[in-house]
Amino acid sequence: MNLKRYMNEILVILSLLFMFAAYFYKHHQVSQQTIQNMETKQMLSQLKEVISLKKIWKNKKVTKKIKELKNIVSSSKLHWSQKQNKITATYTKLSSSELNKLTTKILNTPVIIRLLDIKKIGETYTVEFKCKW
Amino acid sequence: MERQNILNFMTNNKELLLVHTSMYNVRLEHPINIMLTPQFYTVKKEAIPVKYAYQAKKIAPSLFDGLLEEDGKYDYIVFKEKVEDEESWVFIAYNIEKIIRFLESKGIDTNKVSKVFFIQQAITQFGKASLSLGDTEVLSVIDNTVVVIPRIVFGEDNIPSLRFTNEFTPKDSGISIKSSTASQSTLMTQTQAFTLITIFMLFAGMFIVEGSRYSSDTEEEKVEIESIYQTYPYLQSTYTRQDAIDTYKNIDRDERRKRDVIKTVSSMIFKGVTLTSLKIDEKKIISEFLCSDTMVSTRIKELVKKLENKLLTAKGDTKIIVEGTL
Repeated sequence: MNLKRYMNEILVILSLLFMFAAYFYKHHQVSQQTIQNMETKQMLSQLKEVISLKKIWKNKKVTKKIKELKNIVSSSKLHWSQKQNKITATYTKLSSSELNKLTTKILNTPVIIRLLDIKKIGETYTVEFKCKW
Repeated sequence: MERQNILNFMTNNKELLLVHTSMYNVRLEHPINIMLTPQFYTVKKEAIPVKYAYQAKKIAPSLFDGLLEEDGKYDYIVFKEKVEDEESWVFIAYNIEKIIRFLESKGIDTNKVSKVFFIQQAITQFGKASLSLGDTEVLSVIDNTVVVIPRIVFGEDNIPSLRFTNEFTPKDSGISIKSSTASQSTLMTQTQAFTLITIFMLFAGMFIVEGSRYSSDTEEEKVEIESIYQTYPYLQSTYTRQDAIDTYKNIDRDERRKRDVIKTVSSMIFKGVTLTSLKIDEKKIISEFLCSDTMVSTRIKELVKKLENKLLTAKGDTKIIVEGTL
């Protein structure tokens, strides 16, 4: 077979193949970039999430809020023990309203509740509360 | 004009080989030009009123209608000839495949053939003289056309005086075997091929440029990530980052669940219900209610059943225990 005779066809086929190769190159670039973009956005959202979670659960201002738990009732009703980032508190002879106030405060304080034990003794309540942050 | 001269100079530099049917085999060592005798082409002259060669070339096939073999594929070369102040167009029809086959039969490597000329293009070299073609034939000019005639017609006294030299190389451009064979391809013409190649290359170029310029549209995010890394360098490590995410996500999930459960239990304290105890630690919750009657306790049980999270169960009559695992 005389290849020279089919030189036109060969060149056309080669250019067609080149065009396809270029198309696949573009397609590859686009999909690669899309993946990269997705990864970047995902990473940013992860970082933002971890930072916001840290701001909630590792907030330095939480110590101030913990103090509010100490001052919520009179010291005669409270036994308070704090070791670094852990507290153990026992509240005694709490009225219903004091119990409500304390519970709401505990729920709104970003600490890890290790124990919340509420017992009704007579007309008053005793609360044992352990948490860390 | 200057370019034309350069081309002529270049072609004139090459050796010119006269190709005729009775020639001996030739082995080429270097590129040459060849000149074909009328044995390889058909010539026709017409004084047609066109200005340019490409216009004349368009009508060439119709001029040779019926003169050429029907099964052959012919190409045409057209040039102007001036004889005694009269200009006419010279049309030459040739079959490049036949020419190539003949050249190959004589051992001529067509790759080493630069240009192909036709002896008609060198008519001015003849004058009234003739050129010998082997022992039996002679090239001569009759009616301003170079023709092959038998030597016997000349007689013994009329000896051909011309010697074939490089000076026969015409000033007109010849044809290239490469481009001619390309135009002889079966499926498409050179113009069609060129058009298709141009289109494909254009698209290829567009795709390449588009692909290489497809840059990230997340520059803003990247800048933000960099600024986060500057503030929290430890988050650059994938493991640390993942560990932090897992830790804080778990804390967040567990603590939200504890608070939700406490709120749910609190919502069960209404008229006729007294909370006697509630204990929640890191794994479970257990609460005890004292109800005024069974209707109230049934209501609490229904409330527990309706809970979406299904974490809690309730049992007992007037003393209800609601418990669940976190």
